[in-house]
Amino acid sequence: MKNKEDTATILEIVRMSTEDGPGIRTTVFFKGCPLSCAWCHNPESISVRPQVVWVETRCIGCRTCEDVCDNSAISHTPDGIEINREKCVACGDCATECPTTALEIFGKKWGVEELAVEVLKDRAYFSNSGGVTVSGGEPTIQAGFTAAFLARLRKEGIHTALDTCGLTTKNALEKILPHAAMVMFDLKIMDPDDHKKFCGQDNKAILENARFVADYIRSHIYPKELWIRTPLIPNATASEKNISAIGGFIADNLSGVVTRWDLCAFNNLCRDKYRRLGIDWMFTNTELMTAEELDCLGKAAENSGVDPKIVLTSGSTRLDENTEDKEPAQSTGGNIRLCCSTGPQLD
Amino acid sequence: MSISAAHTYPPQIKTPGNLSERVSALRQYYFMGTKRKWNNEFTSWTTGTPWDVQFNEMTYHIVPETYLLLQTMRGSYRQAARPVKLPGDFWSKPIVERRAWFIREVMVNNLPKEILPGDLIAGGRFNIQASMCLTEEEQKEYDARSCGKKGARKAVKWFHDHGYGNTGATSGHLIPGHKRALELGWKGISADLEKRYNSLSSMEKTGEKGAQLRAMMTAATLPKDLAAGYAALCKDLAAREKNSDRAAELEQMTKNLEKVPWEPAKTFWEAVQALWINHMLVISDENYPGPGVSFGRIDQYLLPYWEYSLKNGMDREFGKEILRCFWIHCNAAYDAMIKNGKQGITSGFGQLVSLSGLGENGRDMTNDLTFAMLEVIDELSPILEPKPNVRIHKNSPEKLLDKLADMISTSQGAPFLINFDERSMAGMMRESATSGLSHLINKSNVFDYAPVGCLENTMAGNDRSGTVDCNLNLLKAVELALTGGKDLVPFFDTLINKTEKIRQDGPFTGDATRFKTFEEFFDAYVRQTGYIIKKCVSLYEKTESTRAAFLPTPYLSCLVSGCAQKAKDITRGGAEISFVTIEGVTFATTVDSLLAIKHLVFDEKKCTMAELIEALKANWDGWEVLRAQAINRAPKYGRDDDEADAMAKRVMDLWADETWKHKTLSTGRPFRPGMLSWNYWAGDGFVMAASADGRKKGEFLSNAICPSNGADTNGPTANANSAGKALGGKAADGNGDWEDYMNCLPNGASHTITFNPSIIKDPEHREKFKAYLKGYAQNGGTCLQINMLDPDMLKDAQKHPANYSNLLVRITGYNAYFTAIGKELQNEVIARVSHSKF
Repeated sequence: MKNKEDTATILEIVRMSTEDGPGIRTTVFFKGCPLSCAWCHNPESISVRPQVVWVETRCIGCRTCEDVCDNSAISHTPDGIEINREKCVACGDCATECPTTALEIFGKKWGVEELAVEVLKDRAYFSNSGGVTVSGGEPTIQAGFTAAFLARLRKEGIHTALDTCGLTTKNALEKILPHAAMVMFDLKIMDPDDHKKFCGQDNKAILENARFVADYIRSHIYPKELWIRTPLIPNATASEKNISAIGGFIADNLSGVVTRWDLCAFNNLCRDKYRRLGIDWMFTNTELMTAEELDCLGKAAENSGVDPKIVLTSGSTRLDENTEDKEPAQSTGGNIRLCCSTGPQLD
Repeated sequence: MSISAAHTYPPQIKTPGNLSERVSALRQYYFMGTKRKWNNEFTSWTTGTPWDVQFNEMTYHIVPETYLLLQTMRGSYRQAARPVKLPGDFWSKPIVERRAWFIREVMVNNLPKEILPGDLIAGGRFNIQASMCLTEEEQKEYDARSCGKKGARKAVKWFHDHGYGNTGATSGHLIPGHKRALELGWKGISADLEKRYNSLSSMEKTGEKGAQLRAMMTAATLPKDLAAGYAALCKDLAAREKNSDRAAELEQMTKNLEKVPWEPAKTFWEAVQALWINHMLVISDENYPGPGVSFGRIDQYLLPYWEYSLKNGMDREFGKEILRCFWIHCNAAYDAMIKNGKQGITSGFGQLVSLSGLGENGRDMTNDLTFAMLEVIDELSPILEPKPNVRIHKNSPEKLLDKLADMISTSQGAPFLINFDERSMAGMMRESATSGLSHLINKSNVFDYAPVGCLENTMAGNDRSGTVDCNLNLLKAVELALTGGKDLVPFFDTLINKTEKIRQDGPFTGDATRFKTFEEFFDAYVRQTGYIIKKCVSLYEKTESTRAAFLPTPYLSCLVSGCAQKAKDITRGGAEISFVTIEGVTFATTVDSLLAIKHLVFDEKKCTMAELIEALKANWDGWEVLRAQAINRAPKYGRDDDEADAMAKRVMDLWADETWKHKTLSTGRPFRPGMLSWNYWAGDGFVMAASADGRKKGEFLSNAICPSNGADTNGPTANANSAGKALGGKAADGNGDWEDYMNCLPNGASHTITFNPSIIKDPEHREKFKAYLKGYAQNGGTCLQINMLDPDMLKDAQKHPANYSNLLVRITGYNAYFTAIGKELQNEVIARVSHSKF
């Protein structure tokens, strides 16, 4: 029988990622996260279980899915396909048979070796700085697998990065850290009650782990550096008070190790994902931040006691109504990435 | 201070910059188009005989949109033609001598000469339609062969109407021997011709060889006499010029023109002046406005003159000013049919310059002139010609890559194509090995290859490889394999409102509905591929042999090694390296169709072969579920999926091997394979029947070596890896065609990838983009066109979601398919991309 560490449930493998660490990276998104942040942009990554979703625009209404579902979990309604989440066991039969891929299953089992072969396909593009990032979800949940996977890549000389929400065990970190060239660590909210309110768990263990990772980096050759990431969520994390507090924590506990602190502006483009997963989202009607707000929080971060050079703000901010006529606001649009190619082009 | 991810992003629309008053005025004047008082449109010239014809329609047989216009064009040039007074013995000479004399006479004594205000380069008018100089009998035969009942025009129209593609011997698409012409001057070239002529036996002198060399000797005096005319003009203008600075320039131009291109050039100004005249006269000689008449490694062979002049006091900025004038001159090619609106119908001129690239022993050849030219391009952009190809390789300097990334970030997409040396050189070495040309193409000179037209790789100064002469839809073989050699659907002629009866055209390769295995089907496909290539080759022969018989280009022949040595015109295969390239069109559609047939009929048994054929005949109407399976469930080339890419390799090897088997009968030129980037794949989508990959008739076919539209769901790295694998990938034992690189397409293959503008939004991301280029140099194809995603494409995706089902939007950690998000959100994304002005 297979050891459970031999395989992991992977949500997605994204190639040529330019936002998950230095250089060009292949990012492996693990499925399952111990937090349930209210603003999560990739809600399909939270549950460790595979999940079926229906993409309306692809559906041609052929009802193949209804026929193949053994659990009668799928029904055809005037509004389209409805998936009964109680009945659905996420066997994936509907997704396999759907001729249009309107039904998709999130979460596929991968073995270490096949996953390594897959991500190594892009090694020519990693150059000196790029490499492979494990993200999620939370890659430390499947720590044995993650450690084995990163070790396999290290053997090939590939730059490896661990992107973690921080809620994990020291045991898991000890397994993984020796094989990660760098760590990206989320610090979202400093107030424990607010953290619990928005993320489902308090932040005690997260802060302890942050200190642990910093100490580990100080005392080991690997990993070499630590990036902190803070999502800026209106009415949740995006207050000057919270940012100053996080900065204070970094300055007091992680100094010398943190080489970059990313403040990533909230975006609301995942509304449809929640709808498809059948979840009400509290940020459905939340607007993007304004450029001024983002700037203000950036300043708060720079003045929080950390080395101001490590602070980096990014992400989409609100567009004005008459954007076309105006001088572009600085950070707008900067992070929209469309990764499809070969558009029709006459030459 | 914080590091900001925003920096100067988004950039503004590219506008020209750093231009002097002189160049601004010349550039603005050029873009006034038809409102200009001066222009370089075709003038037509006749011998005065009633049967005389100027327009050689065969050069347009590769442009199917023109088929219905050819007769009109022929007529209108005849009507407009002005007579040229002929010498008494004109008709007693062979065609090649008549033509050499006639072109020379038109250019030197008939065509007006002007210098535009401020211009530093002489040579304005060069677009001519000159008499074919044929006797009545000769003209009759040319007409019969081109537009007669059994002529090439009719045959190529049938070929195109039935979805095979197009073919015709066309002009240009080569790199004349500019280096030699600058070093020797026409004086040296003339002396060489004379020596060769004198060494002919008296028998040979009275024969074809003698006629050819005499014609070339006549042609070799053309640049000198033309330059003398311009020198006189400059002298005159200088005398009348009130501005002393300008008068000094005109005096220097007079001196330049009194010396070059007859004498060897010494200064940079002389060299560029000589280069321009030598180049523009090729266009005059061929009567065709700059179709891929390319400059080759211009930053290499002009470098000695650049360095000499800099050392002797030329201001670098003035050197660039000379180049800017040269750049403007190249655009005058577009004037040819300026009144017809659409830039001479094809707008595919492609006077390429190649910059940077490898030299001997793996040395990088980037130099100061490379950067000066990139600066000029950057400053003048957007501008149409000459089109730059920047050659990069594994060890290209960071400074060059930085400059490229900068230029891309300030232009709308890249103002150049990027050629990749290792893969390209592998293709040239394959050509050498396959055709026994190691004395002409080998390890110690292959780095001097350069692209012509768009991206078609050739050697320089001794190579004509007919890189747009045959454009074959590989997909036709799949169609014929399904039907056993017939069209799948009958051709409907809209002109006469009649449906043609389907006939047995290809070989009968069996009833596909009875095939038990995919391999049986593939065998049929193999035979049909052999058939369509043979058909293309024999149709090409019609125009190749006619050109060889009636349409010599003695001036061009002077600039291509082999012609003087063999005393043979370039149109008769005189060039040392003389191939005809079959450009494979519809590659990915072909591969994906085979994969779909295998998947639907044999592997997954989603339908029978009979049902699939039925569905294709119905243009998929009523077969929506099967079509969805073909589109979404069958494997596709372009995803770095080894199974699909193995099929791509199989298709590639098959058609490439078949192509090498053929030679032209009349001129003995072997055929070689390639994939160019012209837009046939768009137009022929309306001609070819529905295909098994799920494409309906009327939808685009795939472009060159690109994956089918929207099929590359794994992004630009996977896309590039697939293209590299299709060309042959890397040799496991390290012994490839060049180092470990393999490449079965010597011509190279066009590859377009669309990136999100954010890939170059700030210095950090520009580094990532550079990393991509370095990766492409390792894994990808021969040539890359970089497009930046624009709002129009997104708006189109909004309107036609089915065509863009895989367009992925990524916004800091969030991933979604563009077509799968709500309209309101789509608008938001569009607003953002529009906002960035890309």
